[in-house]
Amino acid sequence: MRAVAIIGAGSTPFGKLEGRGIVELAVSACRDALAESRAPREKIQAFYLGNFVGERLASQGALAGLVANRLGLTGIPATKVEGACASGGIALRHGVLGIALGLYDFVLVAGVEKMTSSPTAEVTAALATAGDEEGEMRTGLTFPGAFAIITREHMARYGTTREQIGLVSVKNHGLGASNPKAQFRKPVTLDEVLSSRLIADPLRLFDCPPISDGAAAVVLCPAEWARDFHPKPVRVLGSGHATGPATLWEMDDITSFPATVRASREAYGMARLSPGDVRVAEVHDCFTMAEIIATEDLGFFPKGKGGPAVEKGETGPDGQVAVNPSGGLIAKGHPVGATGCAQVYELVKQLRGEAANQVRDVEIALAHNLGGTGVVSTVTILGRM
Amino acid sequence: MSKVITLQAFFEEARAGRLTGIRCGRCGELAIPPKEFCPACQERAWEPLPLDGRGTIASFTVIRVPPRGRAAEAPYAVAVVRLDEGVSLLGRIVDIPLDALKVGLPVRFRPLVRDNQTVVGFGPTV
Repeated sequence: MRAVAIIGAGSTPFGKLEGRGIVELAVSACRDALAESRAPREKIQAFYLGNFVGERLASQGALAGLVANRLGLTGIPATKVEGACASGGIALRHGVLGIALGLYDFVLVAGVEKMTSSPTAEVTAALATAGDEEGEMRTGLTFPGAFAIITREHMARYGTTREQIGLVSVKNHGLGASNPKAQFRKPVTLDEVLSSRLIADPLRLFDCPPISDGAAAVVLCPAEWARDFHPKPVRVLGSGHATGPATLWEMDDITSFPATVRASREAYGMARLSPGDVRVAEVHDCFTMAEIIATEDLGFFPKGKGGPAVEKGETGPDGQVAVNPSGGLIAKGHPVGATGCAQVYELVKQLRGEAANQVRDVEIALAHNLGGTGVVSTVTILGRM
Repeated sequence: MSKVITLQAFFEEARAGRLTGIRCGRCGELAIPPKEFCPACQERAWEPLPLDGRGTIASFTVIRVPPRGRAAEAPYAVAVVRLDEGVSLLGRIVDIPLDALKVGLPVRFRPLVRDNQTVVGFGPTV
């Protein structure tokens, strides 16, 4: 397999982007990513687009072809990829495979979502389609509800405290405050988190990400040519993609996602690296507890020790592993289909030394994207070249 | 046998108040339908097994921000229930005050019919 590199990255700001439609958002991020790389647009041979709820919330299907057309990439194969909130990570995986296997030399990958034009109840219902409708969601379960059930179990089993969980939100909002791309630009206190309104007990408003619009994109090419197209290319060292149980009641242990564990094993194996090598990680904090579980499933901390690690600052910018320096989904925002690509955008900036919240001495970075309650996950490990 | 492994049959039985599991005829693994192959031994030899419907709450939440169409029902509770036979199932909590809910609370299956659709529910044991 050929080594793959990222030679351009772009992202819209995340937030309520009034007057900007789903196609325009995707085009904007792609244009920025293409402008960063010196690869001429006509070199792009394939386009993969991650999107989850565009058909339902933006009434738009055939999205990949529409975006490719608008970019003047008419003629190339354009594919929309859907895997709930991991759609962006899966799109990237397909782009990487296309180049690694020698099928293509230059691939554009993007993720996009337009969510803020819809009422909250409609967004909640749309996101709930990531669950098993017949087997679980028809009880009236929501995604915050599913992660609330998981949160309660993690607290009971490992003694994880409500304060430790709340500190994830404090950390991520603090980082989002200094990220110009983030939706929330204001720090919050632990008191504010713990007194915000209940969404699904024990999860409160500040344990959840906002409803967001946004898009992010990257340009890929074989690593051996990468320096010709960007002065600071980023190498894709490892890529993992795995599935897991779709419902809570089918999981032997609801405090761990087997898809994350499997995807990370594949990525670490390909990269010949271990969790201790990772200096910075963008993980899927779709809820505060999801970040704690991700740091355990990815092997940064032993099972059950993710809560204390947050309390000790081990996941802060100067900790053992800097987790979500962008502010994560909770503060940067979570336009669901865009998230997997936006995580990689942040890590590309970190590896180039250009990030808003730059972590020191970054050599190895990891992106973790999760769909549903762990029905699918991708893990991508990136390094400097 | 084939009847109980479809989701439709599972919910038809549930609507009549009968909770049905499936047991692997080869290795004895117990599961909730529908499932094609036994996750333990990969065989497709399911046999229906009536479940008693009693269990305890393993974990739960109270939904305060419901999806579209359920505003009138909120707040309501949803729980993962560990059945006495050893399998787990997710269901809507009915007729138990929200502040009485706790992990370990004994509950009993009961069907809940909403918009002509059967939903797994769990209520008090007596």
